Amino acid sequence: MAQPYAKKDDDRDDEAEYSPFLGIEKGAVLQEARVFNDPQLDPRRCSQVITKLLYLLNQGETFTKVEATEVFFAVTKLFQSKDIGLRRMVYLIIKELSPSADEVIIVTSSLMKDMNSKTDMYRANAIRVLCRITDGTLLTQIERYLKQAIVDKNPVVASAALVSGIHLLQTNPEIVKRWSNEVQEAVQSRAALVQFHALALLHQIRQNDRLAVSKLVTSLTRGTVRSPLAQCLLIRYTSQVIRESGQNIQTGDRPFYDYLESCLRHKAEMVIFEAARAITNLSGVTSRELTPAITVLQLFLSSSKPVLRFAAVRTLNKVAMTHPMAVTNCNIDMESLISDQNRSIATLAITTLLKTGNESSVDRLMKQITNFMSDIADEFKIVVVEAIRSLCLKFPLKYRTLMNFLSNILREEGGFEYKKAIVDSIVILIRDIPDAKESGLFHLCEFIEDCEFTYLSSQILHFLGNEGPKTSDPSKYIRYIYNRVILENATVRANAVSTLAKFGAMVDSLKPRIFVLLRRCLFDSDDEVRDRATLYLNTLGGDGSVVETDKDVKNFLFGSLDVPLANLETSLKNYEPSEEPFDIDAVPKEVKSQPLAEKKAPGKKPAGLGAPPTGPTSTIDTYEKLLSSISEFSSFGQLFKSSVPVELTEAETEYAVNVVKHIYDGNVVFQFNCTNTIPEQLLENVTVIMDATEAEEFSEVTSKPLRSLPYDSAGQTFVVFEKPVGVPAVGKFSNMLKFIVKEVDPTTGEAEDDGVEDEYQLEDLEVVPADYILKVGVSNFRNAWESMGPDNERVDEYGLGVRESLAEAVNAVINILGLQPCEGTEVVPSNSRSHTCLLSGVFIGNVKVLVRLSFGIDGPKQVAMKLAVRSEDQAVSDAIHEIIASG
Amino acid sequence: MLLAVLFSHTEGNILVERFHGVPTEERLHWRSFLVKLGADNLKGAKNEELFVASHKSVYIVYTVLGDACIYVVGKDEYDELALAEVLLVIISSMKDVCVKPPTEHRFLNKYGRICLCLDDCLEGVTGELRER
Repeated sequence: MAQPYAKKDDDRDDEAEYSPFLGIEKGAVLQEARVFNDPQLDPRRCSQVITKLLYLLNQGETFTKVEATEVFFAVTKLFQSKDIGLRRMVYLIIKELSPSADEVIIVTSSLMKDMNSKTDMYRANAIRVLCRITDGTLLTQIERYLKQAIVDKNPVVASAALVSGIHLLQTNPEIVKRWSNEVQEAVQSRAALVQFHALALLHQIRQNDRLAVSKLVTSLTRGTVRSPLAQCLLIRYTSQVIRESGQNIQTGDRPFYDYLESCLRHKAEMVIFEAARAITNLSGVTSRELTPAITVLQLFLSSSKPVLRFAAVRTLNKVAMTHPMAVTNCNIDMESLISDQNRSIATLAITTLLKTGNESSVDRLMKQITNFMSDIADEFKIVVVEAIRSLCLKFPLKYRTLMNFLSNILREEGGFEYKKAIVDSIVILIRDIPDAKESGLFHLCEFIEDCEFTYLSSQILHFLGNEGPKTSDPSKYIRYIYNRVILENATVRANAVSTLAKFGAMVDSLKPRIFVLLRRCLFDSDDEVRDRATLYLNTLGGDGSVVETDKDVKNFLFGSLDVPLANLETSLKNYEPSEEPFDIDAVPKEVKSQPLAEKKAPGKKPAGLGAPPTGPTSTIDTYEKLLSSISEFSSFGQLFKSSVPVELTEAETEYAVNVVKHIYDGNVVFQFNCTNTIPEQLLENVTVIMDATEAEEFSEVTSKPLRSLPYDSAGQTFVVFEKPVGVPAVGKFSNMLKFIVKEVDPTTGEAEDDGVEDEYQLEDLEVVPADYILKVGVSNFRNAWESMGPDNERVDEYGLGVRESLAEAVNAVINILGLQPCEGTEVVPSNSRSHTCLLSGVFIGNVKVLVRLSFGIDGPKQVAMKLAVRSEDQAVSDAIHEIIASG
Repeated sequence: MLLAVLFSHTEGNILVERFHGVPTEERLHWRSFLVKLGADNLKGAKNEELFVASHKSVYIVYTVLGDACIYVVGKDEYDELALAEVLLVIISSMKDVCVKPPTEHRFLNKYGRICLCLDDCLEGVTGELRER
């Protein structure tokens, strides 16, 4: 019976599961590669084998060195074939195999022959392969051909040479730089791609010469650039030239602005966008300059291509941070993007609208965003929440709408980071908008009724404890707090107990009820909860009647722990149980800096060198123990501060010396930690001679030499100076290490009897004002500032001149003062024009100091600073100002 | 900087990949991330329709062509528009080689030529995509 005729389908039916590489195996393919050795080459077969090799490599298979070498040598035989397709595959596989320098020599002559071939495809690809696998020595031999290729009539050949030049510039710049003339000629090529590659290479060659780049840009902006890609490059280089020229725009139009503006009318969208973005990124850009760029970006917002919409809304989002008013015209177009299928575009549109919206549009915006939030991922939601927070701070009267929105989304599904962002936002709004406090606290209370995150519940309870008692009716929060004691896990219950105690301490009328609740907590199943309840019942004292709470009790409950936790932990570990109770005032308050050993680069020490020359790498406790064990120092009193070790020698020197400055009220002890790195030497009577000519307020008292310093050991020598008591004296000391050196017999390890006096110059060291300040942070700066009071406050303004950036100016001032930055205010957000930094510390004499620094930077990078200092002593406030004035 | 070019089958098998400047331990993450991105967004998409995504300062432009999903990932000067240009060039080369939108079978049949075209397209990228 005849089979019915079945029309053969194209690709699908019987080949649904078929793959030409099915069951491919490396060993088998390497065997197949032997066909490369056949005298009668079959180009098609060889191409297939090479394809399989490529497939293996692309699937992550690796060849051993031997296998790769064998394949490479076999492949080189394929140069005998004239088949163009096969030759092309040969070029590709050679690049993929990446032969080593000694293997490359086998194929060099074939490739050089191809470089001069009449076939353009051979010339172009041979150039690319050779430049990929060659090194500098061969490059000089083929340089002539490359220069010819750059100006070849065939654009493929020219491009190949130019692109190879771009790659070679990384490894052999001096050779490629000699091709400038040819590359310059190629920039004028009529072929778009050649012009593009030539421009890229020419810029790279000249990028370190600002004038040359400027000339290049000037000539090309006046001439014709055919390639849109080359135009984009030119726009970027133009932006670079504008940036580097630092033109004062008040004296006239910005240079090259006309060119950028003309690119906004180019027919290629990429060029238009590049020009628009370049204009929006200009430093100190004015609204007049921005307008044409924003107009074209607005047109992109309604493009059918998601890439263009994304590009436009991303740029407008950035502009809105600094020039929100310039973007308001685009609001209508952006509102339609809220429902864009691409969630990145939609999120950017929303956050831009939140920055550019005015007060009247807030309600409408919130309605639109409500539906949108359920469609996007948590990371986008966090961005939106932060934008809403900023909007609320901008329009505080709209707090109700925005707070309701935040509390609604807090109730919905979401991850920890998202919920945390919302809670943080509500907390900030409560703090900064007094009217929002009651409703905000209420929303937070509702949230903790059903919160799955212990961290957030704890955070909110702590916040409630601080803010709740200050509200008009604190009692309404008690129910929410006590519910936590009944329903939650041990951590949250313990926090709730602390919160109840705070209410009891601050609101006298609530004390009786709080006492009842706290007594119930004494029966909790968890130790921590019971301990806290006991502690607070005893601390609040009395019988729970309505009496005013002691000030000390309030300080205990609400004050911050001003001791660094790491120091507290160390002290507690060192405390040995005895009749004397642990004294928290004895815990050192100074924040530990990073030990110097960690800062040293690894691998620099010669073999056999033992401990790094930093002396005891531990806390102030160890220094205190060391110094108090030396009888001559025992009369100096309490050690105020020990500095971090400061290197006085460079790395890899014969003798490594660093110094620690120990500051007392009336003395400074310099501890020199010395290490001898020369195995054939023993040093004795090591001491440091310090010249205090430039440190007039100091006078040397005594020194304690180091008796013996063998190879590979560390030892200390001390020099003591006296200074006026309570005065933060400064000065510069030049130092000379003096010692007796004895030769050591390497075989016996014994030193000679006689030694020779020698000396070794060390670097100078300085005693600076920051040495008299302990870095002691405060956890709540605002509270500490308020409680310090303005009696000893001094405020003044200073001009810091032209600085590299705001961050650099802030860091410089922090380092000069030597105070501890608080609440993360040492970090300056990028592109910030202003910044406030909060610092705290303890001045010598145990005087607490708080500093508020306000910085501002203008267009020409002039930085102005306002310094407000509060302390317990007016003289100290003046001293801080004096540091800045003279620094 | 162009970080990666990746071809995968619509069902998620990686066909060709090129990474540059991406540590080995991150590549696994990139592979699964890109395949998931395609699985979420490319269903029912038209051939050559460009999609864009971003994560912090890294941009991804991707599309579907027949059975193949193509992703290009870049950052800094390779922003979304530059990546779109790169992807358009790759698509154009693929169409030259495969004539019509390729099935997996056709793709694998033309594998060698596709590798050649990819090598041509990406030769001009600053920093070579030799790592895989």
